[in-house]
This record gives sequence, C-alpha cells and structure tokens, in this order.
Amino acid sequence: MTIQANEVTIRSDEGRSLISARAAVLAYLAVCGLVLLLMMLLGLTMRLAQAQWITVQPDFFYVVMTMHGAGMVGITGLAGAAVMWHFVRRYVPVSTAVFVTNLVFFLIGAAFILGAGFLGGFAGGWTFLFPLPAHSGALWSVNAAASYMIGLLIIGTGFLLLHLDVARGILSVYGGLASGLGVKQAFGLAPEKNGPPPAVTASTMVSIVNILGILVGAAVLVISLVNLYVPSFTFNALLAKNLIYFFGHVFINATIYMAVIAVYEILPVFTHRAWKANRAFYFAWVLSTLMVLTVYPHHLLMDFAMPTWALVAGQVISWLSGLPVLLVTAFGALTNVYRSGIKWNATAGLAFLGVAGWAIGVIPAIADGTIEINSVMHNTQWVPGHFHTYLLLGMVAMFLSFVTYIGTTGSSALASVAFWLYTIGGSVFVLAFLSGGAVSVPRRYAVHLPEWLPYDRVGSVGAALVIAGALIFVLGFLAKLPSVSASESDA
Amino acid sequence: MIQELVWATSLTLMAVLALVFIWVAFKARIELPDYGPAIASAYQKRTWLFGLAMVILIWANYRTLSHLPYVSSSAAQGSAATVQPVEVVGNQWSWTITPSNLKAGQTAEFHVTSTDVNHGFAVYDPDMRIVAQTQAMPGYINKLRYTFTKPGTYRVLCLEYCGVAHHQMAADITVAAR
Repeated sequence: MTIQANEVTIRSDEGRSLISARAAVLAYLAVCGLVLLLMMLLGLTMRLAQAQWITVQPDFFYVVMTMHGAGMVGITGLAGAAVMWHFVRRYVPVSTAVFVTNLVFFLIGAAFILGAGFLGGFAGGWTFLFPLPAHSGALWSVNAAASYMIGLLIIGTGFLLLHLDVARGILSVYGGLASGLGVKQAFGLAPEKNGPPPAVTASTMVSIVNILGILVGAAVLVISLVNLYVPSFTFNALLAKNLIYFFGHVFINATIYMAVIAVYEILPVFTHRAWKANRAFYFAWVLSTLMVLTVYPHHLLMDFAMPTWALVAGQVISWLSGLPVLLVTAFGALTNVYRSGIKWNATAGLAFLGVAGWAIGVIPAIADGTIEINSVMHNTQWVPGHFHTYLLLGMVAMFLSFVTYIGTTGSSALASVAFWLYTIGGSVFVLAFLSGGAVSVPRRYAVHLPEWLPYDRVGSVGAALVIAGALIFVLGFLAKLPSVSASESDA
Repeated sequence: MIQELVWATSLTLMAVLALVFIWVAFKARIELPDYGPAIASAYQKRTWLFGLAMVILIWANYRTLSHLPYVSSSAAQGSAATVQPVEVVGNQWSWTITPSNLKAGQTAEFHVTSTDVNHGFAVYDPDMRIVAQTQAMPGYINKLRYTFTKPGTYRVLCLEYCGVAHHQMAADITVAAR
C-alpha cells in the first residue's frame, strides 16, 4: 500500500471486514437517520406536553427527556463519526472492521439505554449527575440505572476504539498528532502547502479531545456504577460534576468538529473552489483543541464552591473559543461561496446552513458563558436554545448535507421543500427556546405555568416543521439506498 | 432587567450574522471572474474583524468580571455591610428556608446546601423573573448574596434536574416593605 498524503485515496483493511467501507458508511447513515428522527419525535413529545397539547405523566416525561438527551448526544456522535471516517480515509489508512465495531457497540449500548428508560423507568437525565442515579425516589431500580450506565460504557468503548484507530492512521502518515493537526504550519515553522488537509486536521483534533473525554467519562461512570451497588462508596459530588461536564462538553463539541469536515469537502464540490487550509486555519484548530479541553468550567458557573479562577477562566475561554468558529470556519464558508456561481441545491444549502447555524449559535452561547448573565440565565430555556442552534441548525444540517450528498438526493424539488421546512422550522424552534429563556422559563420541567405556554406552542410548531423536513431527507435517502449501495463508485 | 438586554443584543447580532449569510447566498449565483482580489480583500477584512473582536472581548470581560456574584469577590463583599444569614437546604423535592420572611432593602446571604442530590436554588421575583441563583450541592455550602429591593412574594424554584418531581420543588420567600 502506497500512501501519499493529500492526494491518494487510501484503501483500508476492507479484506478483514465483512462489509465494504462504502456499505459501512451507508449503514451508519441509515441508522443515524432513523434514530435522529426517533429522537426528534421524543423532543416534539416533550414540547407538546409542555404546551399542554398532549398529556404526558411527569415520570414518563423525564424518561423521554433522558432518552432524548442520551440518544441525541450518541447519535450525533455516530453521525459525526460517519462523516469524519468517510473523508479521512481518503488521506490515512483506517480500519473498516473497527468502524463497523463502533456501530455494533452503539446498537448494543443503545439497547441497554432504551431498556433502562422504557422498561426500567430510568429518568436520571442524560448527564447522570452524581449521585442522582442512586436517588430515584423509588421510581427506578438500581439495575435500571446500571443498565443505562453500562449502555453508555459500551457506546464509549466503541468510540474509543474508533478514535484510537483514526489516530493510528494519522500517526502512520504524519508521524505525530502535532503534524496531523498542522502545529508547525500554525506557527509558521513549515510551509502551508505541506500541511495536512482540513479533514485530517479536524480528525486529529477530535481524536485528541475525544480519547481524553471518553476516558474521563468512563472513569466517572464506573465510580457511579460502584456507588449504585455499594452506597457506602461515595464520591465528591463537585468533582464528579467536573468530570461529567468535561466528558459531556468535549463529546458533544466533537460532533460538530467531525461534521464540519462535510462542509470542507462538500461545499468546494459546488463552488469549484478548494477549501485551502492556511496558517490561520491551522492556528484556529490548534486553539480550538486547547479550548475544548479547558472551557468546560463554564457549565459550573453557578457552583460557587468552585475556585473562582477556574470560573473566570471558563468565561474568558468561552469568549475566546467563539473566535476560531466565527473568523475561520464561518469566514471560510462565506468567502468560498461568495460569487462562486454556485448552483444551489439542498446538499449545498444544508452545508452552508450548517456553518451559519454553528456561527449564529455561538452568540447566545457566549452570552450564557458570561458569569453575570449566567446568574439569571443558567438552566433556563436559553440553554437548549443556544445548543439547539448550533446542533440542530449547525451540526445536524451538516450531517444531512452529507446524507443527501452520499444519497445524491439533494437536487429534487422535494429536497428543496425539505430544506426550507427544516430551516424555517429550526429557526422558529430555537427562537422559541431562547425567548422562553429570556423570560426565565426553566429547562427540564415536565409541567409549565400558563404564562409559559405560548413559547411552548410556538416551539412545538417549529419542531413539527423540522421533523417534516428531516423526514423527507431521511426517507429520500432510505428509498434510494438500494441503488446507492449497488453503485460501486465512491461519491 | 439584564435578561431583556441580553435577549435584544443577542437577537440583533444573530440577525446581522444571518443576513450576512443570506446576502452571500443570494450573491453567490453570479460568478466573479477573478476570485483572487476578492479573497485578498476578504482576508484583510478578517484581520480587522479579529482586532475588533479582541477589543470587544477584552472590554466585555473587563466589565462583566467586575460583577461576580461570588461572595468571595470584592463586588459581593462590598454589597452590604451587614447581611441577614438565611439557611437553605434542598432535598428531593422540597426546600427548607430559614428564615423565609425578609425585609425590602435587606441583603440576604443564603447558605445553600443539599442533603441528597444536586439542586438549583433560583430566586424568582414577583414578576417571575430570575434575580439570583446558585447550585445546592451535597457536601458543600454555596453562599449567595442578594439585596431585595421591592416587597412581595419571591418564588424559589429548583433549576437543576433532580428527579421526577423536579418541577414541584418550590418555596416562597416573603419580603415585607421596610
């Protein structure tokens, strides 16, 4: 096998996998599409219940909330992994067997989690905030809580294997993770033209942060599991919270950093302008790597027992971490598209929307990361407002761009309808959350006061439109799956 | 209220950014014959934008970091010469607040803790807007100071998900006219 970075498509060890790389990617997309829809329906169920348009008992509402949270974090991780793996294997050797193993582990883990929730009644929140899983108020059993945590551990193991394999592939070509990230180019120590392609830079960053994040997450999960069965084994709740939010923050942010590879690779196909990685690009990714690992204290701004310096650092890094997104990726997308003569279709539109959603979502996120504002906004609907902006209108839009790109389903009139349903519905949906947060509506409440219902009802309508758009994209892909999988040509 | 200011500012900035994307998307249909000068101009603008962003970042952080809610901070220390200690204990799913009757103009120093899981101690004013909050954690006492300026019934809600009756975990603080 000859490897020439940046140029040659590198074949992985397909011979040792039962299915081809292309089939594996298609399997990922089918699973991710269907689970995304299911999780969106759970989200709609919550908004409809809060709007008092349907009746859902609070104990079941919180089960749905836990499943929606865990499911969305997991499936966006899996969707991001599909995007990353599909493109990074053009530049470095990766294992199809490991890629498939991750999917199998995900499905096994998902079964444990769904069983914990819908059979065992586990409603400890996706963040399993210690020691809540062990304090159910007799509404779920220890075994249900354990099933949830074991499910997360299994899923985490799959992702760990995948990221280790991608890191191995990067090391084999670039000789080090710093080279894969483009550190020398970032600091002007090597020519930009010799730097790694954007897909490799992003994959290196994600490998670094997610390997660390998953290991920390696994540690706190094991601690929580032991506490479930041996209550006398206790743990510092504040330290547990630090570990959980480090893991959670890193993992959910990595989903965006994986999905943005689709923008780097797909948008130039439509604009006929290469997405050139330059010094600012590499510098932004090096900074993002450091900031993703250090910014998590902004989740703990209302934990007054934390060292003040850590919370101040959390605020300052929150502000700083917005700059690489806004000034490199968003600016890069704008200049790549600007008067390019692009013929818009849903695929290109979703990639562009993805960057816009990510960049726009940074604004309310920075606001929430400011301690003075967090004092009156923390854990209100402002929080789901900002993260749905950069996840739903950002990350998931990037993923759906990839789905329509692989499925070649982006040019139909129906796809255009779906694009506008998704964009308009998504905007309404997130603005309903943000405006609710501005009037102090709490997040994660099964029952709402009468004065909060208008926000819930507008949000419900937005959610229904989003789901209609996503449904068209996913069903369009599934309908075309037989012909796409029969095709030998790689998209 | 700070919430209104944050909402208006965020909405404005989000709308401006959205309009930039929409403008570029609509302009994109017409191809520019020579892309080189346009990209050079764009990179120059980016350098200026970076400078502007850094100025805003430093200014905003300087302004906001001088208003930290933590009792250890100088801003909170200087908020009142004398404070009324208020003991707050959260547990699934109720609050114990002692005393829960205060006077307008009085600075309360809430000593907030939990006997079981994480809770969020949030004080809502009579118009149901949050005026202050801190976490209630097992093993820790978080100190929160707030000066009640107007009389009325303030609602305390739990803002950290704590189990299936989380939304029912509420209490009142009565603030009498001075």
